[in-house]
Amino acid sequence: MSNILNTLMQSDRIWQGRRHRQSTQPAEPTGYQVLDNQLGGIGWPRGALSECLLDASGIGELHLLLPLIKKLTGNGRTVFWLNPPHTPYAPALAREGVDLDQIVVIHTRDQGDFLWTLENCLRSPVTGLVMAWPGKLMSRDIRRLQLAAEAGSNVCVLFRERRFADQNSPAALRLDLEPDQHQNLNINIIKRRGSWPGQHCSLTMKHRADLSFCESPRVVQGPWPDSRR
Amino acid sequence: MLWLYLHFPHLLLDHLRRSNGSHESQDALVIVEGVGHKVIQACPTAKEQGVRTGMRLKTALSLSPQLHIVRADEQQETRILEDQARWLYRYAAYIVPMPPNGILAEIGSLQKLYGGLPAAWQTVEQGLNERQLNAWVAIGHTPLAAQLIARTGQGECTADTGHIMRALGRLSPQEAGFEEKTCIRLRRLGLDTLGEVFSLPPADLAKRLSPEVLARIQKIQGTRPDPQTPWQPPHRFHQQTDFVQDIEHSQGLLFPLQRMLQELEDDLCWRQQDTDSLLLILQHRHQEPTRLRIRTSGPEHRAEAFLKLAQIRFEQHPLRAPVTAAILSVKRFIGREAPDEQDLLGDTQDLNEAWHTLISRLQARLGSDSLTQLSPQADHRPERAWSASEVIRTSRRASSDELARLPRRPLWLLKGPQPLTQAPASWFSGPERISGGWWDGERVHRDYYIAQLHTGQLAWVFHDARSGWFVHGWFG
Repeated sequence: MSNILNTLMQSDRIWQGRRHRQSTQPAEPTGYQVLDNQLGGIGWPRGALSECLLDASGIGELHLLLPLIKKLTGNGRTVFWLNPPHTPYAPALAREGVDLDQIVVIHTRDQGDFLWTLENCLRSPVTGLVMAWPGKLMSRDIRRLQLAAEAGSNVCVLFRERRFADQNSPAALRLDLEPDQHQNLNINIIKRRGSWPGQHCSLTMKHRADLSFCESPRVVQGPWPDSRR
Repeated sequence: MLWLYLHFPHLLLDHLRRSNGSHESQDALVIVEGVGHKVIQACPTAKEQGVRTGMRLKTALSLSPQLHIVRADEQQETRILEDQARWLYRYAAYIVPMPPNGILAEIGSLQKLYGGLPAAWQTVEQGLNERQLNAWVAIGHTPLAAQLIARTGQGECTADTGHIMRALGRLSPQEAGFEEKTCIRLRRLGLDTLGEVFSLPPADLAKRLSPEVLARIQKIQGTRPDPQTPWQPPHRFHQQTDFVQDIEHSQGLLFPLQRMLQELEDDLCWRQQDTDSLLLILQHRHQEPTRLRIRTSGPEHRAEAFLKLAQIRFEQHPLRAPVTAAILSVKRFIGREAPDEQDLLGDTQDLNEAWHTLISRLQARLGSDSLTQLSPQADHRPERAWSASEVIRTSRRASSDELARLPRRPLWLLKGPQPLTQAPASWFSGPERISGGWWDGERVHRDYYIAQLHTGQLAWVFHDARSGWFVHGWFG
């Protein structure tokens, strides 16, 4: 190799993509080794926004966060559910070992209250995790939330629709969630801070309904009326 | 026994001036007698402009056209006096309010506590200065003696009975508070000062004067007992601030509110208590008063914390009408607990406090019903097997074996069952029959299945014998 090129390579002024440093940002492990590996061995970033993009509930999106919720509530941190689309079902959460005293569900009336509440939760030291279903968000609102998240050191996960995947977002981590026909959750990493996006992995989410024991689905030929089909 | 008497020559005026903050830019203010139109109290600014007490209101107005006029109100004065009594109660245990404008306190027993009479006197005077109150203070060996000297404004810090008697002796019968008829009678007897009355033997006085007058003279001298009933402060906090000019913006309320909250903090510190709910009543001229209840999620005593919550409330609810007076009242008190290193939940004090601060803030803005905590309930019907309650900090950890007995349920429960519109792609476990509710009229008789829809969602569906197929939850 030419001498000039060698000098350039040793100089710090040239950034080399393949030798990027391991990200040092604080993070919480997701509890799924496969996903952690894809996220550079760290997990959910703390003090930054994360986005989960999905089209419908019931694809395992809560189970994706459940290990983190269990860990945080066990440590006495509060987990806020902000404007959830359905009711978080207390008996199921209790069965999973979540400390329900640390779960607070908040419903806000309008967008102004929503942003205010989210900001306040993010800045508080008692918060461990904020899960929010914002509906429509302006880009500058996300920017404001990103700043609030940086002020605290909490994990904040926004659940949004997949059509927002193309929209520009300052979130540090963006995951695209898609179910398949075998109760698995396919995760595409759209963006992650400090490294290349584009990784994808598939998590098995059969355990969420105790389906592991019936590997070949025991099809119940249900009492399904033909007319409805 | 030694008695200290505080005479407030213009209490209402002081109260109003105090409520309206800044001292420099104060407009002239007078208090006018209820019925007639005579000035009875005038502030220094008004006096500079030539207004004197006893002047007719019209004359005063022509001297000072920008004069603020407040009508004297007996009830209000009694209330203000009670505020002062509550304050003085911190310094002396035995106090007696003497309406309309005086407070009597037993001071003889306090000498040791404060280290002598001058120190006790100084403590009271310093307190008066801090409260920006004008008071004439005097000491007497009887309650009446102290009162009479205080009213002349020539009280001195001395416990010497001879000195007090000489001071009393210089008073005229009018100053000694005798009725007009008695004064004339005394003057006709050639008695112009109280000293001359004292020098006569009681037997002679009894012959010439009515028994009531004799009793009063003896009570002043201390030869007849004059028992006083000690006053006990009520166990509540109540403070009213009256505004000379109506306040139209909530920003303007914050300053007087801060002072009221500061007094609440002092009061709570002094009681060693906390509170978690304040009632703020804003009075309007032509409307029903606005009642704002400010709650904190945990015991609190700091004025600053209350003020922040009040600020959020004001932002949410702008004033309906100009405010003429604000009343702060607290009825619920909570004993203060010694801060431990760690409390029962294993949290450090800081984290616990931060939790209360955050929840209080959220509740103040969103309303306390917007925040809920979840708990499972013992019922077989899925919609009854959970409940939402107001957020409180508790620790009730269910034992693990209890949790293991709970059946498999989805993490999302729909707010109401949704009709299933399309046949599911695949079926898993089921049926699980849930039947119950015959005891309270909300009967449920369903077969539950777990099924995956074509969209990939894992659903908890049920078949109701009467009305068909529904989705009741998602395995999120």
